[in-house]
Amino acid sequence: MRLALSRPPTILQVEAANSYAYIATITNRLYITEQTSNILKRRTPTFAAPILADTRPLKKARYLRRWARRLTEFGFSSEDAIVLAYGSFGLDVESETVGVDAIITTDIRLADRYKQRNPEINNRFNDMITNLPEAYRQIRLPQVLTTATILTFV
Amino acid sequence: MEKLTVDADGKITIPPEVIQKRGLHPGDELSLVESAEGLLVYQGGVDDKTSAWWNSLDQEQRLLAETDARRYESLSEHDRDAIWNEDADSIEAEAERDEIDLPTK
Repeated sequence: MRLALSRPPTILQVEAANSYAYIATITNRLYITEQTSNILKRRTPTFAAPILADTRPLKKARYLRRWARRLTEFGFSSEDAIVLAYGSFGLDVESETVGVDAIITTDIRLADRYKQRNPEINNRFNDMITNLPEAYRQIRLPQVLTTATILTFV
Repeated sequence: MEKLTVDADGKITIPPEVIQKRGLHPGDELSLVESAEGLLVYQGGVDDKTSAWWNSLDQEQRLLAETDARRYESLSEHDRDAIWNEDADSIEAEAERDEIDLPTK
């Protein structure tokens, strides 16, 4: 948007764009949530088309919301909990794979909270999936990395 | 990733190959950001991927982009949030009907 208005990007935008560009060079498995996909489809194609072309929307596998509700007990908002739950229960219908390796965010507090509470989150997660049907036992927790962390890999 | 050393005056020297690769010139401004990861140095401007996208647009598409950007910019914070919260997912159990079973192998 700022580029279209002949304005330089903000530092946060530079950080996000550069980490996105880097991630796109190391994997072709870039995912967005269904909600983001739906929103982008309603935006001006000029802006949305490149992102929609690079990414695939994840579907919600069964128990995604149940896990999201558990995550809110660790202090995550319901919006953040849904995104974190996609990291484990997001289904790529095309490749029939579930979950992602990492969720990339500009939200430092979200990443910090996830890191600090990780042992408890991990225990809660294991308790939950142990009681799920066999197909769900392969599910893992994703890493949560900030865009700034991604840039340290470049 | 480059490792830099701070000298006694608090100055750091950017290696010449990085200066050349990034097209930096004397007097160019860089931003130093303190983050949880440490100090990050940002060069202003647009990344290659975004530049390539912008350069691929024809005049008409750029005009459309500019019009849409101006429209978005004129929105209040509340209206912008509303756009990004469209179809927000509920985490309540009643909303679970759209969840799908994992394929059994």
